[in-house]
Amino acid sequence: MNETGLPMHVSRRQLLQNTGMSLGTMALGSLLAKSNELSAAPRPATKGPLDARQPHFPPRIKRVIHLFMNGGPSQIDTFDPKPELSKLDGQPLPDSVKNRLQTTQRNRVGNIFASPFKFRKHGESGLEISELFPNVARHADDLCVVRSMVGEIANHTPGLLLTNCGHSALARPSIGSWLLYGLGAESDNLPGFVVLCPSGMPTAQSRNWTSAFLPGVFQGTYIETENRSKELIPNLTRDDIRPRSQRAQVALTRFLNQQHQANRPGDERLESRIHSMELAFRMQSAATDVFDLNQEPAHIREMYGDTIQGRNMLIARRMAERGVRYVQIYHGGKQPWDNHGSIIPNIKRLTSECDQPIAALLTDLKQRGLLDDTLVIWGGEMGRTSTTQTGPKDPNKMGRDHHIDGYSIWLAGGGFKGGFTYGSTDEFGLAALENPVELHDLHATILHQMGFDHRHLTYRYSGRDFRLTDVHGNVLHDLLS
Amino acid sequence: MSRGVTTGLGVVQLMLFSVVGLADDDQKGHAFFERKIRPLLVEHCYECHSEAAEEQQGGLLLDRQSGWLKGGDRNKAVIPGDPDASPLIRAVRYRDEDLQMPPEYQLDDELVHLLENWVRRGAPGPAVDLGDTEFSRLGDQGYLFEAASNHWAFQLVKSVAPPAAGDLAWNEQAIDQFIFARLQDHSLTPSQPADARTLIRRLTYDLTGLPPTPEAVEQFVDDVYELGRVAYSHAVERLINSPAFGEHLGRMWLDVARYADTDSFYRPDTVTPHYFPFAFTYRDYVVEAFNNDKPFDQFVREQLAADLIGFSDGDAEMAALGFLAVGPHANRNPTEALDDWIDVTTRGLMGMTAACARCHDHKYEPIPTADYYSLHGVFASIVRPNSLDENQLPTIPGYPVDSALRADYLEKRAAIDAKIAEAGDKTVGSNQRGVARKIRETELAYLLLFHRGGPVHSMIVKERGKPVDPYIYVRGDPTNQGDRVPRRFLQILDPKQQPFPDDSSGRIQLANKIASSENPLTARVFVNRVFGLLMGQHLVDTPSDFGLQGSAPTHPLLLDWLADDFVSHGWSVKHLVRRIVLSETYRQASHYREEMASIDSENRYFWRANRKHLSIEAIRDSALVIANRLDSTPRGRAAPLWGDDYTKRRAIYGYINRFNLDPTLRVFDFPTPMQTQPGREESIVAPQALFTMNAPFVIDQAAAITALREFASRKSNTKRVETLFQLIFQREPTDAEVNRISRFVEQQQRLFASSADESEMPSPWEMVAQSLLMSNEFQYID
Repeated sequence: MNETGLPMHVSRRQLLQNTGMSLGTMALGSLLAKSNELSAAPRPATKGPLDARQPHFPPRIKRVIHLFMNGGPSQIDTFDPKPELSKLDGQPLPDSVKNRLQTTQRNRVGNIFASPFKFRKHGESGLEISELFPNVARHADDLCVVRSMVGEIANHTPGLLLTNCGHSALARPSIGSWLLYGLGAESDNLPGFVVLCPSGMPTAQSRNWTSAFLPGVFQGTYIETENRSKELIPNLTRDDIRPRSQRAQVALTRFLNQQHQANRPGDERLESRIHSMELAFRMQSAATDVFDLNQEPAHIREMYGDTIQGRNMLIARRMAERGVRYVQIYHGGKQPWDNHGSIIPNIKRLTSECDQPIAALLTDLKQRGLLDDTLVIWGGEMGRTSTTQTGPKDPNKMGRDHHIDGYSIWLAGGGFKGGFTYGSTDEFGLAALENPVELHDLHATILHQMGFDHRHLTYRYSGRDFRLTDVHGNVLHDLLS
Repeated sequence: MSRGVTTGLGVVQLMLFSVVGLADDDQKGHAFFERKIRPLLVEHCYECHSEAAEEQQGGLLLDRQSGWLKGGDRNKAVIPGDPDASPLIRAVRYRDEDLQMPPEYQLDDELVHLLENWVRRGAPGPAVDLGDTEFSRLGDQGYLFEAASNHWAFQLVKSVAPPAAGDLAWNEQAIDQFIFARLQDHSLTPSQPADARTLIRRLTYDLTGLPPTPEAVEQFVDDVYELGRVAYSHAVERLINSPAFGEHLGRMWLDVARYADTDSFYRPDTVTPHYFPFAFTYRDYVVEAFNNDKPFDQFVREQLAADLIGFSDGDAEMAALGFLAVGPHANRNPTEALDDWIDVTTRGLMGMTAACARCHDHKYEPIPTADYYSLHGVFASIVRPNSLDENQLPTIPGYPVDSALRADYLEKRAAIDAKIAEAGDKTVGSNQRGVARKIRETELAYLLLFHRGGPVHSMIVKERGKPVDPYIYVRGDPTNQGDRVPRRFLQILDPKQQPFPDDSSGRIQLANKIASSENPLTARVFVNRVFGLLMGQHLVDTPSDFGLQGSAPTHPLLLDWLADDFVSHGWSVKHLVRRIVLSETYRQASHYREEMASIDSENRYFWRANRKHLSIEAIRDSALVIANRLDSTPRGRAAPLWGDDYTKRRAIYGYINRFNLDPTLRVFDFPTPMQTQPGREESIVAPQALFTMNAPFVIDQAAAITALREFASRKSNTKRVETLFQLIFQREPTDAEVNRISRFVEQQQRLFASSADESEMPSPWEMVAQSLLMSNEFQYID
């Protein structure tokens, strides 16, 4: 039990079967009349698995938008300037430094490869950001850059799983699933945890948003590409029937259910199912509506840009304001930021795709007053080396290898300090020097901002209480304003 | 946490005495601790090292003397009188890079000196010491074994005499006598028997997972009228001997066996699953075992060790080894894969959470980590042939193939083989997986998985040439080998722990220890699973955890009686099922009774029958049965459940992709087959309603129902409504229902007539049929 008296180690049985609800459900007619509106109808006092619950203490943020640069973006080309390295460009790493690299990298490490991109101080804070992110740089005073992230295994799958689920190998619930488990869904009409990824799944696929041993309703809902609203939820709509007919059919079913229920008092599940069918009917339009970007004024659409990334960021904002608690946007299928070769042209392309949309998202959230209680996270499952991989001599073909000993991410909004950098890496942009941050610390901090003590958000499974941070994690109070 | 387990407490006691002697003076010592030291510890240490914080990082508690004297995982935290030797002092001095406390910051010198002074004085503690508590005993195996010595589930099953019940009908069968006694204990009374229609629908679903046909319902009602109670026994026999029985019970077992047709990972370059094309032979083996009433002890032995107990390649029983072979293992290191085997064996068969003891002694159960590695040794001594290797996997009898299908398969196979031959040893780019291998693992595996003309093999495991003598992996780390342990059974169930023979993995011995009437868990765990399936509520509501942390049984004597009766009737599952469904307890009505509910709202004491929600499999199968489209062919390869080409066979024959579990299955609480699963839950979420509203599968069956001759030949609205109600609910509609539906139909017909594209739209009657499939009455069994 915690301060609020809410047990956070609810058993699966309690969670799923505790559906005690009143008969005070709204009449179907009034629900249906509202079905095209944005706002959710008041919900009855149910306690289903997705019903909203209070966390341990008042939350600072209500939602998270996680911009996942999958593949592992290079920190020294973006948010961790190492100007001194240009003097050493093309030279081999000193052996002492080389020996500190992960084995897999050590065997194929090339020479030092200073960033060809210029860094400049931005905003009042003077936060340094490279020329690859000119638009994001305008928000420098909103960014909290962590330059000392440390991973565990320098490869994609373990990095993705560690970042999303807190363990590099084992099947553990993702952070979005934990949040949904702890908080329930804010919206009746949309899933609480949505994963957007254009053009196929990211590496490690659905394990990135798995609910593992938590009940399946807490799993992330994955949407493959833009404007595929039908995939938001399986069987969301049918095309062969008019809404009016279906409305009548749902009403007929409600009649049958009421007849059935009249002879079967004392079974709250029957009422819950009646309610859930009405939710389902509303969900059809709400879930379609969230993808309908034509509802946005032209200037907003222009600000984001009519591109894959632009549309996805805009959809993310629409979801966030409709109560989706955790929106995760992958840059693309598989691992687009995995620039082992030709990093210069590739990272230019990647940043040009997402720079404007990310800046637009920050601007838009801010102007709507949403940035205060929304946390935006930018980063990948790891960073990249400041050396080339052994291989081509042509700078335009050179790439960087995986790197986990000190890489950068940033956070914006949600009570994080703006214009702030935390931690540092050594002079080669490799090992974290000051304030190394583990993913568990980041998870503990996100949960903290959502109102949870990460040590007490647990789930009893297979004989023990599991938690997102396992036995690790420290809340990074230094990052919080 | 592997300290001297049995003597740990004694050591602490002794040290307490010596320490007390070291302190200047007891009173002064306590005062010094409370005034100077406690406040410091509260401020800087208790967040992680106190019982109040529910934390004990590194196993160290600093809120009691025994805590710092006993110390944490590393060592004693304090050596009284010797600050320099005390890890606690080393940690606060912050000079040792590996040991710095508190982790976030360094204490002021003044505080460090205070602590040094305290240790020098003998580290006195509070006047009222907390001593050892439940909490500080976490992982103390000595304490846990002691607690376990009285734990109900670890006691041998006793034969118990049922108490006489003061009610004639409830005094005939043991189950009822036990239930009746507990009802009386709680001032509860049982419910009347359910009416014949309700009963036959319930019984048919519970024994077969399918609805009764309207004819079967009418027949039963007539039989009851003529024969009375005997009619019910006849119905039980008819259903228990139908092939659908094994399909239904088998599905329950497949949840335990975390059955799937693919592995837990996918191949990143081709983005395809690791297929298990022959997993289905295990599923078929399970279905048949239940249909043939294979004794459960033999069923267990075959699943763990068919190859060692007299079966060999070519025997159908070899498919039993799928219990081990179909587990998830791709992309896991070998220790991970062994963990799955240990877990499914201990938790699935015995309700023991032994897999928790992999990195340390179990925190809550009497399972030292040595036990984990004893089992680890058994499973490390077997190998699993590649799931695609047709040469290593034995063929299996009983799958005759139609010659046309065979020819089609051979033709497709030849084309793929030619591609493989052509690829030779080519590779593409830096991808180390050769082109030929890629074709084998994708196209060929896919063909083998789905083509009904393909060869049939069983998925097996084999003995390794030389059995492995296991070491404990300290903290679960394979590179950190601790003591050697023999391959043997769990200490709590086998105190002598006779090592298994040197010349084999020991699977036979393991299987015999589990499938034994002397094992207090195996029979109890299984009867509880079956009882829960049939009654909608388990006697022990943690079906895969019977340990100290599991729930206590609501009816311990009944559980024992059932287990004993099960074993003494040759471990016959059909016998067990008959016992349960023939009872008055099972036959009760599900009606709500306010008075009873005010005492026992959750119906833990079975004062009524539980209303049960249909599983997704039963919903799907029922819709096909009602539409008269169910293909009841048993056995054979998996087929897609949804999509354009969905199978019309029962859902148990549907393809299960472990890596990307089907979203419809997921929203209906189908358990993820990544680990052994204790049972199904019922969640109520909108996507389930969306399935019945919009899924092409449901729409399709609704259309098929209205195309049935018995429906189409009726012309009046009333007759049509009656027919639909008989087909779907197996009852007559009320007048109100006929009227309401007629109104809906007429309204829709007007809309339909005014529509330009009416051919595209479902007819009003299709919508009515679907509405019945959407209803609660269809989805719940009273």
